[in-house]
Amino acid sequence: MGEVILKAEDISKSFPGVRALDQVRFELRSGEVHALLGENGAGKSTLMKILAGVQEPDSGRLLSRGQEVRFRNTLDARAAGIGIIFQELNLIPHLTVAQNLFIGREWKTPWGTLDEARMNRETMDVLAKLNLKIPPATLVKDLPISKQQMVEIAKALSHESEVLIMDEPTSALTEAEIDELFEVIHALRNRGVGIIYISHRLDELQHIVDRVTIFRDGKSISTTQYGELSMDEIVNRMVGRDLVNQYPPRNNLPTTVKLMEVTNLASSGVLAPMGFDLYRGEILGIAGLMGSGRTELARALFGADPVDSKTVRINGELVAIHQPTDAIRHGLAYLSEDRKHEGLAVRMQVAENITMANLDGVCSLPGIVSRSREWEAAQKWVDELNIKTPTILQKVNNLSGGNQQKVVLAKWLFREAKVLIFDEPTRGIDVGAKYAIYELMEALARRGVGVIMISSELPEILGMTDRILVMHEGTLAATLTTALTNQQEILAFASGLGA
Amino acid sequence: MKKDSTMNQKLPFSVDKFITLGALVLLLAVFSITANNFFTVRNVLTMALQTSTITMMGIGVTLVIITGGIDLSIGSIVALSGTAAVLIANAGVPTPLAMAFGLLVGVVCGWGNGLLITKLRLPPFIATLGSMMILRGVVLTITNANSSPAPDNFGDLGNNTLFKVTQPNPDGGLLTVFPGISFIVLIMVAMALFFWFVLTKTKIGRYTYAIGSNEEAARLSGIPVARIKGYAYIFSGFLAGLVGVILASRMVTSQPNGGIGYEMNAIASAVIGGTSLMGGVGTVGGTLIGSFIIGTLSTGLTMQGASYFAQQIVIGSVVILAVAVDQIRNRPKKRKG
Repeated sequence: MGEVILKAEDISKSFPGVRALDQVRFELRSGEVHALLGENGAGKSTLMKILAGVQEPDSGRLLSRGQEVRFRNTLDARAAGIGIIFQELNLIPHLTVAQNLFIGREWKTPWGTLDEARMNRETMDVLAKLNLKIPPATLVKDLPISKQQMVEIAKALSHESEVLIMDEPTSALTEAEIDELFEVIHALRNRGVGIIYISHRLDELQHIVDRVTIFRDGKSISTTQYGELSMDEIVNRMVGRDLVNQYPPRNNLPTTVKLMEVTNLASSGVLAPMGFDLYRGEILGIAGLMGSGRTELARALFGADPVDSKTVRINGELVAIHQPTDAIRHGLAYLSEDRKHEGLAVRMQVAENITMANLDGVCSLPGIVSRSREWEAAQKWVDELNIKTPTILQKVNNLSGGNQQKVVLAKWLFREAKVLIFDEPTRGIDVGAKYAIYELMEALARRGVGVIMISSELPEILGMTDRILVMHEGTLAATLTTALTNQQEILAFASGLGA
Repeated sequence: MKKDSTMNQKLPFSVDKFITLGALVLLLAVFSITANNFFTVRNVLTMALQTSTITMMGIGVTLVIITGGIDLSIGSIVALSGTAAVLIANAGVPTPLAMAFGLLVGVVCGWGNGLLITKLRLPPFIATLGSMMILRGVVLTITNANSSPAPDNFGDLGNNTLFKVTQPNPDGGLLTVFPGISFIVLIMVAMALFFWFVLTKTKIGRYTYAIGSNEEAARLSGIPVARIKGYAYIFSGFLAGLVGVILASRMVTSQPNGGIGYEMNAIASAVIGGTSLMGGVGTVGGTLIGSFIIGTLSTGLTMQGASYFAQQIVIGSVVILAVAVDQIRNRPKKRKG
């Protein structure tokens, strides 16, 4: 580890109703990977935005190589050598890799036209440093997410960044892609780049992290070498209390009453014909690698995407599900992995989002919404799920990720769904909120609801479910009983090596 | 801080709307001082009458814009529905039925727009651009671009008033004390109240906002997206049809060349009133104020001798100014981390 290249001193920042950062201190040395940990709403994202020039602090100082700096916008931050890779990638899909890399600072020929050849050549040089073999003229939209992320990293490098901020870089990657990413991170560190690494997946820290700074409630709690704290101590500092178990105990066993029976579900090119059962009170996991068809299975079942064939029986009765409206009428609910785009109307109020799937439940006369009944219902669920919001009239985009997820959940609980499909329910959610979501799933199962849980995190699938469907390239590779299987077996089926 | 942000949301009117309302009051005050006879009963009533048609079309297009769409065919629907009503009245159909037929034409046009958008999945801009041209072509073809007079009682709706007060003139004849409120203004008020109710109190209204805010989330929440979008275009078509019948009634003739560019005034009043072309945002009250800002400007400027051409410059500037103010006000709002 080298000298301190970036330092934040006593940074404070407030938003209406929230003190996001309270006299926060943070430093980054060259050639280190420094993890920034904390629950959602702890202030990590705000600090990151301040370091990247997206927002200005209310008070405090930023020092770049010992010099006080003030970032009024992202260009200022970039000029100081700070590059940021947001969780949601900022690439333009219809431009090529090279065009994206050089956007805003294109090379020109003496005639004033774009010098595509030079930009393609220089793009290749940068990509070579990352051991990437992507043709510079590829359109970004044709690349998988993992490669797009590499392009983002390449873009930051091509700006000669000395500081690289990565927000949840692994959340959309497969295991193999994560390994690839870690290799790149190692290479960057060895070249003296300082990396701020934000992640909710504590298990991956051991592979790359040098130091850890923990945030809680807008304050920086501690900065230590990675090995100094045990995983339990890290978690305790993040949540401010002792978390004894990672998963809540399952207080019941699933019944043997078939709640839903799916047969002959097929969609050409996406899903090979398959079938499965869901029992009352059961938590059924769906495991598989990225792109194995887990989400496609859920969407097909829910009527969100068209299928070639599908037979669904609920409580023994044949039901026709052509679109989400049908699915919801028959008691199904789908919590999308993509909250912002598919789960919530983020510019609408918390209350309006909670009642969205069950407006009839708060109508006084048919078709006429009663505000008072709506607010009563919304308040009940906000209290019940402990959703942190100043009021139920707050716009959803002012809430943290975990609380947004709870709003989606409240929407379906208010609808009294019988079958809940959770697609990556804990992605991008902090430890404390994760446990709350697990507890809720357990409580739902106890009440006789059938829960389907799609997840990339095998530990949580093993920790929560009764049975597991393993997907591989659009086929149902195996149906396993959780108590009788392990991570190795699931991975074997998921990668097509099946027993 | 905390209290303020929640208080704002509980107020029936947002601060933004107070700004536009304030701008309208200011305009009225300025014209009252600078133009003689501006703030007279007669002139205010005339202004309300002239603005009412913009208001109604504006409300229609507001509903469409909230879903994230646009309706460019309003002007053509105005011409077609008015002309259809006059033609069928001339063919011997009783006037009330003929007018109802005009409204039906508007509804059918809106329904067609909705089908193009929800079934063929055309972008609303393209679908309604096409129907704008087609419907204009239809009305010009069936009339050969000639306007024709309507039966006398066809003019009752557009030219009669309620609460007219007269007294005998000593010289003989009647002296008008109060010219009365035009039927058209009353219809506009009724439509504004009705669609305000639909947007704020009903499921359809809530779904309209939800679709504009996030169409995919709305669909996955079980909202019948296609049907609700269809309603928005049908409402817009209906209101355009209503305006077409009203204008034909005022002129007591069919106007196959009428209504050209009306959709732009409608869109302008929605935008001045705070409707966002991104969808999800907009109110009937805002559009009402927006349309009266346009109406006040054109009446006031006319009385001061400004040409129609100069008025266009002013109204265009107001549209830009209104949105610019909105943008500047919303700029510091960033999400917390």
